[in-house]
Amino acid sequence: MKRYIAGRLLYTFVILFLVSILVFILARLLPGDPIQAAAMINMDLANQEIIQDLRIRFGLDRPLYVQYVIWLRDFISGDWGVSLGSGEAVFDMFFKRLPVTLELFAGSVFWSCLIGFPLGILSALRRNTWLDAMVTATAITGVSIPVFWEGIVLIYLFSVVFHWLPAAGFVPFAESPLGNFTSLLMPSFVMGTHGAGLFARYIRSSLLEVLGQDYIRTARAKGLSEKAVLIGHAAKPAMIPVVTVVGLAWGYVVAGSFIVEYMFAIPGLGRMGVDAVFLRDFPVIQATLIMTAVNVLLVNLLVDLIYGCLDPRIRIQ
Amino acid sequence: MRQIKSGKSSPLLAMLTVLGLLIFLPMTPVSGQEENKPGWLEWGEKYWPTKPVRGGIFQAAAPYYIGVMNPNHFPVMDWVTISHLYDKLIIHDARYKPTIPWLAESWTYLDDRTMLMKLRKGVRFHDGSEFNAAGLKYQMEWILDKNNGAWSRTWLEPLEAVEVVDPHTVKWHFKRPWGAFLGTMASVPGYMISPKALKADWALSELQRLKRRMGSLKRKAEETREQVEKSSDKDEAEKGRLEQEAREAALTASEAESRLQELEKLAEGAKPLDAYPVGTGPYMLEKNSPGNYVQLTRNPDWWFGKSVGMPEMPYYDGLKVAVIPDPSVRLAGLKAGQLDLAIINPTQYKLVENDPKLKGAIGPLNWLVWLMLNQNGGPCKDIRVRKAISHAIDRKALIMGTQNGLGREASCIFPDSHWTHNPDLQPIAYDPELSKRLLAEAGYAGGLTLRGFTSNEPVSQAFAKAVMAMLEKVGIKWDCKLLGIAAMAEPFTKRDYDMAGGLYQWIFEPDHIATALYMPDGVLNYERNHNEKAMELIRRGREEMNEDRRRAIYQELERVLYENYEDVWLWYPMMVTGANARIEGVNVDMLKAYGEGYVRSHPTWFKDGSR
Repeated sequence: MKRYIAGRLLYTFVILFLVSILVFILARLLPGDPIQAAAMINMDLANQEIIQDLRIRFGLDRPLYVQYVIWLRDFISGDWGVSLGSGEAVFDMFFKRLPVTLELFAGSVFWSCLIGFPLGILSALRRNTWLDAMVTATAITGVSIPVFWEGIVLIYLFSVVFHWLPAAGFVPFAESPLGNFTSLLMPSFVMGTHGAGLFARYIRSSLLEVLGQDYIRTARAKGLSEKAVLIGHAAKPAMIPVVTVVGLAWGYVVAGSFIVEYMFAIPGLGRMGVDAVFLRDFPVIQATLIMTAVNVLLVNLLVDLIYGCLDPRIRIQ
Repeated sequence: MRQIKSGKSSPLLAMLTVLGLLIFLPMTPVSGQEENKPGWLEWGEKYWPTKPVRGGIFQAAAPYYIGVMNPNHFPVMDWVTISHLYDKLIIHDARYKPTIPWLAESWTYLDDRTMLMKLRKGVRFHDGSEFNAAGLKYQMEWILDKNNGAWSRTWLEPLEAVEVVDPHTVKWHFKRPWGAFLGTMASVPGYMISPKALKADWALSELQRLKRRMGSLKRKAEETREQVEKSSDKDEAEKGRLEQEAREAALTASEAESRLQELEKLAEGAKPLDAYPVGTGPYMLEKNSPGNYVQLTRNPDWWFGKSVGMPEMPYYDGLKVAVIPDPSVRLAGLKAGQLDLAIINPTQYKLVENDPKLKGAIGPLNWLVWLMLNQNGGPCKDIRVRKAISHAIDRKALIMGTQNGLGREASCIFPDSHWTHNPDLQPIAYDPELSKRLLAEAGYAGGLTLRGFTSNEPVSQAFAKAVMAMLEKVGIKWDCKLLGIAAMAEPFTKRDYDMAGGLYQWIFEPDHIATALYMPDGVLNYERNHNEKAMELIRRGREEMNEDRRRAIYQELERVLYENYEDVWLWYPMMVTGANARIEGVNVDMLKAYGEGYVRSHPTWFKDGSR
């Protein structure tokens, strides 16, 4: 097992190195540079001499490979540079915003499980009935509904019409636990409904497959109740593909949070990324993308390890 | 280059006030003798029938990330908050002229290169330090020092020196006559920052810079020492050279070490000014959650309220400026009662007007929506083509269709309410037949394609589509790419376009916009045109000290640009805002009459002191 983990880690580092080159080049391939972009916003940004000064100040005048080497060296040593937009250290920015996105992720997984699990199980147990068809339609709607549309409808209903929830903004937990809860309720729900649809579909198919296995028939033949069969024998193996979906959902959260955090004004990693792209804030874009890659790779690793826990056959192999 | 909106209406300009309050506008003047007090210093029933009430937290929203709160630093995205934290030396009147003394009490030109300025006494920064001549001198020198990276530095290029005459008097020395001086002091460099905070910030920056260098300095000292140790087989001359090099490297490292210790002392307990701003404004920083919100608390010692015998000013207990990037969500926040003020699109005005809990407001903005033409090659080099484009656009229809009718047709670069606006110039008439004739004369009877771009924001997209349709009617195809702000920079700087859409915001000092647009080193020029007459007028305008003559120069500049169809000026936008109906103290007539001066001196309040 240790060799397996070591091998996976080595593989992760190689991928990360390649990703770092790709990220660096891609960020530079975006048309426009940050200084001139800011000049387009702050029209009074003095004159071209100042723009050139600022370019030198932020190291954008150096050859690309020099910029890359310096950036990689500093990044590994924990100096992720300074945001061209806010002047803050990118490292600090990232770790200030990570907990916000994690909270959002936790909330969205909660909604996904709360809605997706019962629907998936119900759908599997009532296969080929009108209930199954309804659940399937609901799940597909959940997966395909555009996040921004769902968001704006919810804001209109719960903020403008009923005044129950804030339209946007984020309250840290330490400041007000209730405020924190209400500020994340809508955004996490919006993200969660997408996951819920996926969960429902995966659980249904996975459960149907497991319920058709010989050992389930044996369990039923022993006279066990349907509930006991479901909980004691079918649930655990049916979870294996669901773990994959949760892993994938994490990747989706990082990408999906770009829209949800922007819309609901949640100061997490997603909005940090959007702001950075808007301003061509290279240090922030690079850090966000690299850390997104790290997250996805680590979660994949974690998922592989959890497989082993859930299914001894995989562990032995 | 974004598009904006505008309006018409009534208690509205009012909102502009509040907006101004929240936005970018500076502040007002002060007392003087009671009997001769200027009109804006009116707080009686003529101003508002009821007495102001203290209390409540005003909630506003900004579209951009909040972070850099030293206005001289790059990039300033958050004028909303900055305007509450700092006071300027001078502020503008209703015609955007820098005439109202604020932190500067008075000024006199001793000659065309020297000015004596009296500063207000008894003003303290939020950190308790005193506002005085020495601090002002330090700030100007800080801006001028290239190492500090102030983007406002080139604006101070004509400044030779600031001399401290006494604690509250400075003498400004200019390298040459400087007509734009007052306008500059009513702009970014004129926001007064605590010198104590500025010095601490400088020490922090220096410390960080030196810390980054220390490693390499020590490494070099070490390496050169090792080279000396290994140099026994070298000849004497080479040994001597290496020893000398090692001595120098060791000395440099040791000096840097001492400097580091000095800076560490200076920077002890210091906080970066961008995150912890310190000004003299009506509100002070309470809490800063970058990217999320900034919370300000009332400055109980705000000098202005005290100086006019109204120490209760400002009236809100605090302000919270949240970052909400999406305009629809900002409007929802306003309608949900989460925000007290939001800038909205003209098309959303009805939604505010019909809501009893809100007040809508529409007021003129000193902004310009225009099409910039690249005359450095391509079809726009030909005046007939430029003329054809200009006459092909129906400005009225454009304003009606894209701005809900809320806008004023533009004749040139200075808005109709600006003191340098040329009233003799009428907006270019819509005449598609003339356009067709001109195009035929220029050799484009069979049609013309113009390459270009504009912002990809929804409002700009609507405007671009309308312009494309109008040009199509006369045989011009505008191949317009919709780009993000940063993406526009590349084609613009490389002049890879014929015509591009643009928005110029906050037109105060005429030299700033004129330089940006029509001088070759201007940030919106990049040698896209080269009008010698215009350039000469801009140079003259910079140096002219007499206000009337200066106005005449800029009006002449407008005429020159207008006659040469230098660009296509479309409209001056309006600011459309929605606000909580419980906000009181917005006198539209006074706002119209005194502009920024009124805004700064007449803070608003909540009815009964609560939201």
